[in-house]
Amino acid sequence: MGLPIPHSKLGMWLFLATEIMFFSAFIGAYIVLRAGSPGWPTDPSITHIHIWAGGLNTFVLILSSYFVVLALESMKADNFAKARRYLCLTLLLACVFLGIKAYEYSGKFEHDILPGHIPETPRMAIDKSMREMKQVVDNRTIALANIPLPEKLEPAKPDETIELSGVTDEKTEALAPPVEELRQKLQAELKAPDTSESRKKALVAYFALDNKYRELNTRALDESITLPEMNQELETLKKNPDYGAFLAPVHHLQPIIYGNLFASVYFLLTGFHALHVVIGMILFLIVLVQGRRLCDKWNDYVENIGLYWHFVDLVWIFLFPLIYII
Amino acid sequence: MSESQSHSYVKYSNIFFALCICTVLSIIFDVLDLKEKDVVGIKGFILLAFLVLAVACAKALFVMIYFMHLKFEGKWKYVLLSPTIVLAMGLTIAITPDIGIHYYTNESPQIDYLEQAQQAALENDSAKNAENNHVE
Repeated sequence: MGLPIPHSKLGMWLFLATEIMFFSAFIGAYIVLRAGSPGWPTDPSITHIHIWAGGLNTFVLILSSYFVVLALESMKADNFAKARRYLCLTLLLACVFLGIKAYEYSGKFEHDILPGHIPETPRMAIDKSMREMKQVVDNRTIALANIPLPEKLEPAKPDETIELSGVTDEKTEALAPPVEELRQKLQAELKAPDTSESRKKALVAYFALDNKYRELNTRALDESITLPEMNQELETLKKNPDYGAFLAPVHHLQPIIYGNLFASVYFLLTGFHALHVVIGMILFLIVLVQGRRLCDKWNDYVENIGLYWHFVDLVWIFLFPLIYII
Repeated sequence: MSESQSHSYVKYSNIFFALCICTVLSIIFDVLDLKEKDVVGIKGFILLAFLVLAVACAKALFVMIYFMHLKFEGKWKYVLLSPTIVLAMGLTIAITPDIGIHYYTNESPQIDYLEQAQQAALENDSAKNAENNHVE
């Protein structure tokens, strides 16, 4: 008695049943959150989600699924060399998939589209730019004073920068390096007669940047600057030959409504899917390292990892329209 | 053996091409940019969502029936898979009334900003229209 299938296959199908619930919980939550959030970001120029990348990845996964089927057919026909070739191709396509995914992720990191990093209103965007600029000025202070850079810096006087409720990072609050003291030292150095010309030039550039930051921060504090104005100011500062290069870490201000929720869901869904791809690659490697020892004992294994791989493809088939098109 | 072998090869390649065509179809729907248009009285966004999800379901069925060999499996497949589908749909349906469909108005800075932006866009549009009329 029992089911007319191998135990391992039944195990794989039971596992896939749990996987269906695992992914549909995420996908369902995404659909519902999406429906309940008016103004969800969809503009590709804002979200940096490109349909060509998603479409290409869909094609790559479909092709790899096709190769897995052919590999299994070759195994059943006792043509193990052919099966190995198809499994190799599948592994290669999995690498291509992850490569495209990595390219997409790097774009997100570059534009700081990360959960908890995205300003959702113009006020939050201005606040973020001031924090980033403060970080640049502080780092420059420390670099000029020649002391080792601490891991993360927080404003010396918290009341100096604008703080919105919920934006403060309490963990780093306690770490207040004596940036203000260093600044005074640098000021004294600038006035000292024995300072070299090149050093003086660097110090003058630093104080120009510092003054500009203070001016912008004051305007941000009394809310007398608008978002386009701030963007304009930052663009002009970035073009400055003396200190423009230091301002590279300050992002172009782009408030995204529900951007943080969007980024969380995006990374959760695609991240877990990518993790499944990596596990699939390990499963393929296990059979590929058998080399010429591959024999019909591995038929069930190849069938089971094939089922797993098709499931990974299946999840992407739903993620592609949900994330990239709708 | 060899005959059935070649037969299944042809079949699998057909499925592969069908899947590719479906993917291209989804991309065409995206390029058509249905979101902003109303087609035969249906909101473009809903039509787009319906079309691309229908295509996704068709692709999923192709993969499950042929690539995962569910067509050739016994009746156990229904026993094993139907509870998971029910639970998966159940979760989504259960959280929809509170999070997806509100009877109340959301109060958050995002919504305020959205309203301001929409207001500004409307004013901009009407100003532009007025200008155009003036020019004419």
